[in-house]
Formats: sequence, C-alpha cells, structure tokens
Amino acid sequence: MRQKSESLWTLSYRKFCRNRTAMVGVVILLFFTVVAFLAPYISPYDPLEQSFIKSLLPPSKEHLFGTDEFGRDLFSRLLYGARISLQIGFISVTISLVIGVTLGLIAGYYGSWLDMVIMRVMDLMLCFPYILLALVIMAILGPGLYNAMIAIGIVYIPTFARIVRSSVLTIKEEEYIKAVKSLGAGDLRILLKHVLINAMAPIIIQATLSIGRAIINAAGLSFLGLGAQPPTPEWGAILSNGQTFLRDAPWVATFPGIAIALLVLGFNLVGDGLRDAFDPKLKR
Amino acid sequence: MKKVISLLLVLVMLLGIAGVSSAEEPQYGGTLIYAHGADADALDPHMTLLGTSADIIVNVFDGLVRFERGTTKIEPALATSWNVSDDGLIWTFNLRKGVKFHDGTPFNADAVVFDIERQINPNHPYYLEGKFPYAGFSLGMIEKVEAVDEYTVKFTLKHPYAPFLKNLAMFATCIVSPEAVKKYGEEIFKHPVGTGAFIFEEWVKDDHITVVANEDYWDGRPYVDKVIFKVIPRNEVRLLELEKGNIHIMEGLNPTDIKKVKDNPDLKLLEQPGLNIGYIALHNEKKPFDNKLVRQAMNYAINKEEICKYLMKDQAIPARGPLPPTIWSYDDTLKGYPYNPEKAKELLKEAGYGDGFTFTLRTYSAPRGYNPVGARLATAIQQYLKEIGVNAEIEQLEWGTYIKEGKAGKHTAALFGWMADNGDPDNFLNVFFNSANQGSTNRAFYTNEKVDELLIKAQKLSDEKEREKIYKEVQKIVVEDAPFVFLNHMKQMLPMRTNVKNYVLYPTYNKFFHKVWLEQ
Repeated sequence: MRQKSESLWTLSYRKFCRNRTAMVGVVILLFFTVVAFLAPYISPYDPLEQSFIKSLLPPSKEHLFGTDEFGRDLFSRLLYGARISLQIGFISVTISLVIGVTLGLIAGYYGSWLDMVIMRVMDLMLCFPYILLALVIMAILGPGLYNAMIAIGIVYIPTFARIVRSSVLTIKEEEYIKAVKSLGAGDLRILLKHVLINAMAPIIIQATLSIGRAIINAAGLSFLGLGAQPPTPEWGAILSNGQTFLRDAPWVATFPGIAIALLVLGFNLVGDGLRDAFDPKLKR
Repeated sequence: MKKVISLLLVLVMLLGIAGVSSAEEPQYGGTLIYAHGADADALDPHMTLLGTSADIIVNVFDGLVRFERGTTKIEPALATSWNVSDDGLIWTFNLRKGVKFHDGTPFNADAVVFDIERQINPNHPYYLEGKFPYAGFSLGMIEKVEAVDEYTVKFTLKHPYAPFLKNLAMFATCIVSPEAVKKYGEEIFKHPVGTGAFIFEEWVKDDHITVVANEDYWDGRPYVDKVIFKVIPRNEVRLLELEKGNIHIMEGLNPTDIKKVKDNPDLKLLEQPGLNIGYIALHNEKKPFDNKLVRQAMNYAINKEEICKYLMKDQAIPARGPLPPTIWSYDDTLKGYPYNPEKAKELLKEAGYGDGFTFTLRTYSAPRGYNPVGARLATAIQQYLKEIGVNAEIEQLEWGTYIKEGKAGKHTAALFGWMADNGDPDNFLNVFFNSANQGSTNRAFYTNEKVDELLIKAQKLSDEKEREKIYKEVQKIVVEDAPFVFLNHMKQMLPMRTNVKNYVLYPTYNKFFHKVWLEQ
C-alpha cells in the first residue's frame, strides 16, 4: 500500500513536470517569490518616501515604472507590494485551509447531526457572493490588511469543508479504513494518518487556486479602501489610487494591474496543472 | 479663393452678431444639466445637512431673506422689509403679497409661523423628533413666532442674537408649503413644495433630480426651462462628460485636472476664495493630544504650503487659524504655524514625547469641498509626521460611520472640514470651539471657559465692530491652544461649458440657477 501511494505522487509529479503551461505558472510564481524576498535589496528607492516635486513622472530610466502623485517610485512600491500580496494569499488560505479541512473531516467522518449542522452553516455561507461576505466581515472587523486576510480566510472555509467532506465520504468506506479500524486505531489516528493523506490531492489543487483568488479579493478590498491602509504599497490600493490619474498618468494604475493579473495567472496555471496531474482518469 | 474669402467674411459677421446678441440679451429656454458626486438625502430644507441637497433646495424654495447674488449680504426675498427692536429681541417682517407656493397654497404669515413652529415646537402636530438637524443652530434662539396680521410676522428671541438675519437667509430656513407638510407628513422630504424659481418634477434616487421653471415666479421666470441635477460619483468621469458636452456644469474637480479645464476652449472655470477650512480634530481629552505642546508640535510638523502647492495644485491656500482670510473679523496679524519640523521636535521633547508616539489618524476616502484629494491628504500628513518621529496609522471609514463616530468622539485624531452656512464668523468659531457643541460640531472636544464666554457675548452684540474685536481675541486664544491642526482653505472652483452664461458663485457654495441662461 505504501509502495502504491508513493508511485501515485511520483507519477503525478512527472505528469506535472511535462505540463508546459503549468511550468510557465511555476516560473511566474518563482519570479514573484524571489522578487518578494529580495525587495529590500533590489528596490532602487524607499517605497514610502514622498517628494512632491517628482510627482506623477512618466516611466524613465530613473523611475522604471514612473512615480505616483506623492513622487514615490512606483517600481519600488510594486516590489514591496509583491511581499504583501503573497502574504495575503498564503495567510488567508492557511486560515481557510485549517478551519475548512477540520470541519470537512469532522462532518464527513462522523456524519449524522454533526455533518448536518456543519454543512448547513457552510451552505449558508456559500449563499453569499465571496466579495459581499468579505465586505460584511470587514464591516464587523474594521478596515486593515490583517482583517482583510481574516475576512478572506473565513470566506473560503466552505469550499474546503465541502471538498474534504466529499472525499472523506468515499474514503471512509474503503477496505483499508475498515481494516485499520478493526485493528483498533483511534479516530484521530485514522483521520490524520489515513483519511487526510488520501484526500490530499484535491486539497492541494483547491489551495493553489484559492491563493490566486484570495489575492484578487484582497486587492478588491483594498481597492474599496477596506484592506491595506495607506501608505502600505498593496497592489490593489495602488491601482485604486491610480484611477484618478488614468488620463494623465496611466502608468500608476497599469503596472499594479499587470502585476496582479500575472501573479494570479501563475497560481491558476499551477493549480490547473496540479489538477491534471492528480486526475487518475487523464492518462499520461 | 474669392468664394472662400467671402464665405469666411459671412461667417465672421455671423459670429459677430451672435457674440453681440449673447452679451446683451439673455436667451430663454433649454435644459441645464448640473452634475455632482453624490445624491441628495432629503429635499425638505429643514431635514438635511448636505450641500448636495441644499443645491436643489435653494432653487425650489425661498427664505424670508436671501443672500445678494455672489455675496453674504442680505437682501429681501419673501419678506420685503423688516425691523428690529432696540433691545435686539423683537424682529418684525413684512411679507411679500400675492406669492403662492407651487401647490397653490397662498404664502402668508400663517405659513411662516407653521413652518417655523414645526421645527422648534415639540407640541406642533408636524414636529418630528430628531429630524431637523439645523433647527437648533438656525432657530434655537427663538422664544416665539406670531402672525401679527396676514402679511406681518413677529419673532421674539430669548436673547439678542446678532447673526439672526443671516440664519434666515440659509437654505435650512427656507419656507415650505404648510399644505404640503399636512399632505405628505414624514414623507415631505421626498416632495418639496416651495415658492422658488423652479418646481420639483421628479427624483430618481442616485440618478437624477429634475426641476422645471416656475412660470409665475415672483422674481421673474428663470431663463432655462429645466434643470437636471445628475449624480456622477467619480470626479474624472464627471469631467469627461463635461468635455463631451453631456453636462453643462459640474462640481468636484481633481487638482490634476485644473489645467485640462483651463486649456479647453469649450470650458471655463469660475474661481473664488472659499469660506471653508480643512482641519485635523485632535481629541483634546485623549492622550497625547491633551497636551497643548503636542498639539502645537503637530501644527508645526506638517508642511501645509507644500500640500497646497503640490498635492492640491494651488486649489487651496494654507490655513493660519480657524477662519478663512476672506471672512470679516479675520485676524491677518496671525502667524499660525509655519512649517518647522525642528521646532516640532523640540516641543515634543518638552512635552515628554521625545521618542515620538503612535496614534490612529482617521480619514474619509472621497474628495470633499474643503479637501480635493480625499484620503491622499492623510497619506501626505503621515509622511510629514514620520519625520518628527510620530507614527500615524491611517484608518479609512465610510462617511456615515465616520461622521457618527466623529460626533461621539471615538477618534483620537480625525480629518474634518467645514463650509460656511451664512458667512458669519460665529458659524465657524462657535461651531468648532463652544464646549456646548461637543457631541455635534466641536469634534476636538475642546473646552475653554474664556472662549465659551466670549462666543456667547459676541452673539448678543449687534455692533459688528465690537463683535470683530471679540472674534479676533478668540482666534488668538484658539490658535495658541491649537485644538486643531489648521490645514487649508480651498478655493471654490466650478468648471462649466462656455455656453453657460451669467452663473455666479456664492460664498455659501449653494448653486442658484434662477438667473443662469444657455446660449443656444
């Protein structure tokens, strides 16, 4: 059994590596990760330093992406913004992952009234469009970057809970689970060591895709003034600010827009690639 | 070639004729479209605080008196003359005869008494608890109001109140048809019926409000047939519509777009020094702003000159105190707080905050009449404060919550502003600094018994010279105490198409369309 599960992972890995679009995604993600780590070393200016004399300069050798209305270097701001956006993606998805998976495991494995209660709450949350639910949570928590991460984390819980629950429902009927059970293993051991491991593939796919969506939603919240507060160089906030100058200084809105689109594209490509790789029905 | 020249000549002649006729004779007809950033909230003069509502109200209603075109001087409107007793307590108004409300109700002394009473007398059948936000300020000094005869009204005041006449010229004290109030009850705010130059036609929420010319207006029919007040939320979109000619006049211009308007031959820009102030209310009861030295340091630390010049592109001038320079009683000997970060650091040290401190600076997001750049102002301020070691964490709130919490004093420091209602200094100084106004307009929660005393004394004097002396004293004390960071006074700027004629800016910001005409 151990042998077999290993070969599934290696098989998927090989399939994934052969998938060209997925590799493009990986390259994009690697690029942004490196940029995020190196931001303090490679950015030519302090992203917060304002100098009104240099406001709204077009892209040039000195300012690669131009400057914003405070005379801040847009290139440096975008470099630092990569850190923030990646952070948002990972933290918010970690929140939904931990809570969603736990709820899904409990609901799927124990069934009966627990399942009923958990899943009805999840259904209720799914009734609202993501951004609307996030707005409601933000209204309760108040504006701020960390609150935005929490809000988005909460919004994605039901997706994870549902996926995990449906996997668990099939897995728990499998022969090997019954075998472990009859050997006297406790619930926690079964859930973590046997059920969760076998439900991992869809969770990974969902997590990757969710990171992309979380970044877009956080940018949306910042765009509405609820997420990152000034002077944080969050991409959505920069984009929102740039709207005002769209006719005179289109670069202020264009570059953060491209950055958001690229990063999200990266996560989507990788997510799609993973889905294809893990799908046993798609041979080679 | 000849043909071309003669054609050109004809054209020039035609243009010349058109030019002459337009300069001399106003034309009747046409629909004028004015665009603003937000919809009105209520069209009953007494039930709103919003400028966007007031702009419609002043065109549909009249008050007993009104501001002379483009000034804060008083001239007759629904009252033709008035006199005041020597003790300043009894004001008698002679009303205009033969005026009718738009619903046909005759305008007379009973209508005035009815409308004033419904705002200030809790026993009046149409009094609405908590629905008249201006009444306390504009009419609170009235002891009683009576109809002497059909066309004479007598007000008895509780105490002499110098700006009384100016209050009666404000949009908030315009007279509403009593029959309409009886007919619509609480819903009167959706059905404005006045005596004004325009008659209300329709209100499509968040889209537009339409008013049509009042053919029987006592002051002459307006030139245009119709005015549409259109809602276009974003400044830059509104400007695009103006450039395309889809609208005629707009409010709210981004500083970065001023040049665009000036360079466009189809557009013109009316400008006037504004009666307003943008400021930061430092909560005077909360640490660290309970310390005067810290408040002064904040004033020194922010480079107002640079903000006005670069961020606001000369659309505003730096403030030296609470009053705009164009209002009477402004003290031009005040130096205020010129930019001086070194001095600011010294003051902080002296106050025991040598290592700086962290506080939350609240801001609204969209541009407003006293701040053309919205939340970006807070970002600029944050950077200046950083230079003296003060860390401002910016918190943006939605406008409704912002004002509610600002009144309640939930902020430590928050950006606010004020635009003149009636051009009287009392309308600034008393509003901001009278401790009795904590919980409403005294957003710094400033208390100074001496200031309270002076402000009340000035209200009771009728001699403007005496009042001026007191207001100058108040300005000195307040600038020294620095309950605010005094930021800027914004110019009033109104871009419009060149074919809009005879438009005049009012220091009170209200938009009057009675005498405006369109070149067809």
